[in-house]
Amino acid sequence: MSTTITAPAARAVDLTKIYGSGETAVHALDGVSVEFGRGRFTAVMGPSGSGKSTLMHCMAGLDVPTSGQTFVGDQEVGSLDDRGLTELRRDRIGFVFQAFNLVPTLSAKENITLPADLAGKTVDADWFAHLVEVLRLGDRLEHRPSELSGGQQQRVACARALIGKPDLVFGDEPTGNLDSKSSGEVLSFLRQSVTDHDQAVVMVTHDPRAAAYADRVVFLADGRIVGELDSPTADTVLEQMKKLGD
Amino acid sequence: MRRVTLKGLAARKLRLVLTAISIVLGVTFITGTLVLGDTLNRTFDTLVGTVYQHVSFEIRGNAELSGSNNQGPDSTTARRPVPASIGAAVRRLPGVEVAEGSVEGYAQFVSRTGENPLGNSSAGFSFDPYPKLASFRLVKGHAPAGSDQVLMDTATAQKNHFAIGDRVQVLLPHGTRYFTISGLTKFGADNSLPGISIVQFSLPVAQQLFGLVGRYDTINVLTKPGADNVAVERAIKALLPPGVQVVSGQQISNELDNTISSALSFLSTALLIFGVIALIVGAFTIYNTFSITVGQRTRELALLRVVGASRRQVFSSVLQEAAITGLVGSVIGLGLGVAAALGLRALLSAFGISLPSAPLVFEARTPIVALIVGIGVTVLSAIVPARRAVRIPPVAALVAHNEERADVIPRARVIAGVVVALFSALLTILGLTGPRIALVGLGAAVMLIAAAMLIPVIAGPVAHAIGGPLARIFGTPGRIGRRNATRSPRRTAQTSAALMIGLMLVSLIAVLGTSLSASTKQQIDSAIRAGYVVTGSVPTSAPGVVKALPGVTAETLVYQGQIEYDGSVQTLGAVTLPGLDKTVNLSVTSGQQAAALAAGQLLVDTNTARSDHLHIGSVVHVTFAETGPTTMVVGGIFTVNPAVGSFVTGAPFFLAHFHQPLAGGLLISTAPGTQHFERLLTRVLYTDASLDVQSRSQYEASSQKSVETLLDLVYVLLALAVVIALIGIVNTLILSVFERTHEIGLMRAVGMRRPQVKAMIRAEAIIIALFGAVVGIVLGTAFGAALADALRNDSVTTVAVPVVSLIAFFVFAGLLGLYAASWPARRAAKLDVLSAIAAD
Repeated sequence: MSTTITAPAARAVDLTKIYGSGETAVHALDGVSVEFGRGRFTAVMGPSGSGKSTLMHCMAGLDVPTSGQTFVGDQEVGSLDDRGLTELRRDRIGFVFQAFNLVPTLSAKENITLPADLAGKTVDADWFAHLVEVLRLGDRLEHRPSELSGGQQQRVACARALIGKPDLVFGDEPTGNLDSKSSGEVLSFLRQSVTDHDQAVVMVTHDPRAAAYADRVVFLADGRIVGELDSPTADTVLEQMKKLGD
Repeated sequence: MRRVTLKGLAARKLRLVLTAISIVLGVTFITGTLVLGDTLNRTFDTLVGTVYQHVSFEIRGNAELSGSNNQGPDSTTARRPVPASIGAAVRRLPGVEVAEGSVEGYAQFVSRTGENPLGNSSAGFSFDPYPKLASFRLVKGHAPAGSDQVLMDTATAQKNHFAIGDRVQVLLPHGTRYFTISGLTKFGADNSLPGISIVQFSLPVAQQLFGLVGRYDTINVLTKPGADNVAVERAIKALLPPGVQVVSGQQISNELDNTISSALSFLSTALLIFGVIALIVGAFTIYNTFSITVGQRTRELALLRVVGASRRQVFSSVLQEAAITGLVGSVIGLGLGVAAALGLRALLSAFGISLPSAPLVFEARTPIVALIVGIGVTVLSAIVPARRAVRIPPVAALVAHNEERADVIPRARVIAGVVVALFSALLTILGLTGPRIALVGLGAAVMLIAAAMLIPVIAGPVAHAIGGPLARIFGTPGRIGRRNATRSPRRTAQTSAALMIGLMLVSLIAVLGTSLSASTKQQIDSAIRAGYVVTGSVPTSAPGVVKALPGVTAETLVYQGQIEYDGSVQTLGAVTLPGLDKTVNLSVTSGQQAAALAAGQLLVDTNTARSDHLHIGSVVHVTFAETGPTTMVVGGIFTVNPAVGSFVTGAPFFLAHFHQPLAGGLLISTAPGTQHFERLLTRVLYTDASLDVQSRSQYEASSQKSVETLLDLVYVLLALAVVIALIGIVNTLILSVFERTHEIGLMRAVGMRRPQVKAMIRAEAIIIALFGAVVGIVLGTAFGAALADALRNDSVTTVAVPVVSLIAFFVFAGLLGLYAASWPARRAAKLDVLSAIAAD
């Protein structure tokens, strides 16, 4: 099955982000240009302070770059005001954070449909049922987050990220707090959504085993892209990271 | 450890300020009340002292009626006049420089338009030309000479633009007369007594006008310099006939002081009660703030324990924080209180209680009370949260995240609460059957305890129900706000407690006041048949004038006077007899109204009959001020009616025992179909400005008005408690926003717009406020109705619930919640999404 990729799901053009000024200025991003294609699962890796989280935040409209442009689909993120950014996140981006992904007062089901509810849209019932089934959440829907295990919470977060069929799903160390079995479930699901539904997923991680689920790994160091790897395995990723460490 | 406390406080300035505000307001009110009270006391003391400083002795009749309000004789007690001959005899005694008689009676100036009497009450005196003895000093013009001249107090003259030489109309016991102003007076250093216009005539004119020719009310004596006062007093005593006494100027001054102080202390006590209510409401806010912050600081406090802080140190750290907050709040409140004293004075005068203006008095007691109360309330409110802080185990510092703890209310407490509530209901029912108001009051107090136990239990479901419509109005943000309001029922209950107390009191007062007002109308309706009521000092000539008007079928003159009955002073009402059945209906349950009154017998109400075991034919002993003791036969018993009073007799009997009777009212019945009668009546009685001509419905409305004005004043004062409650809601919401920073950040990240964040906070605030309103209004209405019913043998004969007002309170509370949310909502909406997500 081959698809012609006309426009990427998201891209960054010559992105810089500088924190502070003068002597103490830190270049979190230093001229990063990168594209994330549809139907591709991309892992962004790098040591602490390499700028991988900043890159994700700038692309998702959570942070404002110092210069450069970011696009989600053909929408330039920098041209949006707060309302526009909020609606962009709500309607076109899905998020899975490392922890505290869920609103504690809402049930699992309500957490999943939260973006749609906030938009005043109805949820695609078939799609909802599909996600619940794949993520094995059927018997947990009425539970509050405090009654769910860590793995279940992250699966609920995955369902929320995908419920609106967004252009792009961002994962920020989505398996950082999980045991290996739960990690595997979450990563397999993300992998499957890319393969089966042509979803674009970008995941920031520092775990080579997690990165091995991706189609492509982008390595960042000191705010620059320092390498790429297609069809990674845990071993090739580890090898690459060692090289970068030298 | 102290440094940790101080650093902590400095780092949480906002919370310090919010907590302190509730203390500031309470202390401000209490300080204001104390300063105002001290100022008024000092003012009157000085005034009285100045006026009586030169009087050596006063000769006056003995108090005729003893046991007046159990306070002993005071300056307002009725006394018999003394013969003028005593004055002449005293004047001849060695050592006496001056002995001047004076009289007083009913006199009141009328405005230039001739419509309104000036001043709240009447005060007519003879002018005493000897300046050292006179209460009122002549400051301009000359003393009144001849039957045509009068003195006016400077305040009345200034306010109404009267000048020396002007003609002025004066209301007198027997109609009105014109006089020429010959001079202006002052009372001590003041322009007048507050709210009173002072009319002074020459002594012979006053004696004639007040029916006291050849007699004086009092004789003031001034001794010669160096005279032996003890000897002079002895000599005066020797001259006096029985029933006349001599007292020192100092005693007169003390008596007057006592009268004024007791009136003022009533005012101060009433205001202090509102201050205390404000502080109680404030205590809830403080308690709540400290509870929440101790919860939020679990890790910090646990960390302190890990590094070696003892339980005692953690406990005292929290209490020190409270003490510092209380100190800051009290000091600010103390400063603002001085300004508040001026505000209170202005407020009271806006409600018709006029007080003299004078520099404020700041007694040492004021700051001591303010600081003790302010700091005390804060520290006491923080004790329970501090104990909770002590129980935090050191290991809490090492746990990654404090789990959302669900409020679990022990079942035993729920059961105990229900039992207490049932006990309260039992007490109330027992109290109402009596009726015994003390039992009903106890029932209400017990119900408050039950409420304190049960409110956290019902907070969840009730807040959920209230939130239903809001969730529909505000959509998803409203739904989340509703969840937030119910996620910690205990916090919701505590936050709304302050508003609950405020609205409970407001509702209670509203129900009591409305019932009182409705009772007044009902009582007038049941007692008065006349279509028209003339009030004021009705001249004895008025019935004659009215009788001649077309359509008049009956007119009844109503008198009131004081008698001594069974050791206390009581008011005796009297009515003229012809046509009485057309104007007055006393609902006599036994005996015959007309026959008894005509026979000069006494009618008593059922309460008096029951308590004193009176029945038809009982003989009672009464004492009249002017004619002394006598007996009356009970000729009828009528249903309790505060509009009438407890004792009524016929006019002929009454007039035989009062020399200077003042008619207080004229009741007029007209034939059906009589038109424009009120206008006609007003025209013929127009010459008398003190008279108020009203139809019965107008009379009812004006009788109800005084109750309603008082209600308004109470509402204004209780508004303070409501404002503090509002601050409590703001406080909790701000703390909740801090607490939920991460959660709000998450919702923003997945697509909650800023207006939706605001809507979410607003929904929560409205639910909290409405929960407090519902419980407060329900409790207040129940208490008010129970108290009103318990008073059915006194002045409250009808229980009325002001539904519209209560609904208005509810809506007002919702708006208050909306308003309270505005700042926290803005703060929540402004949270930076990225740093909120990153927040721990």
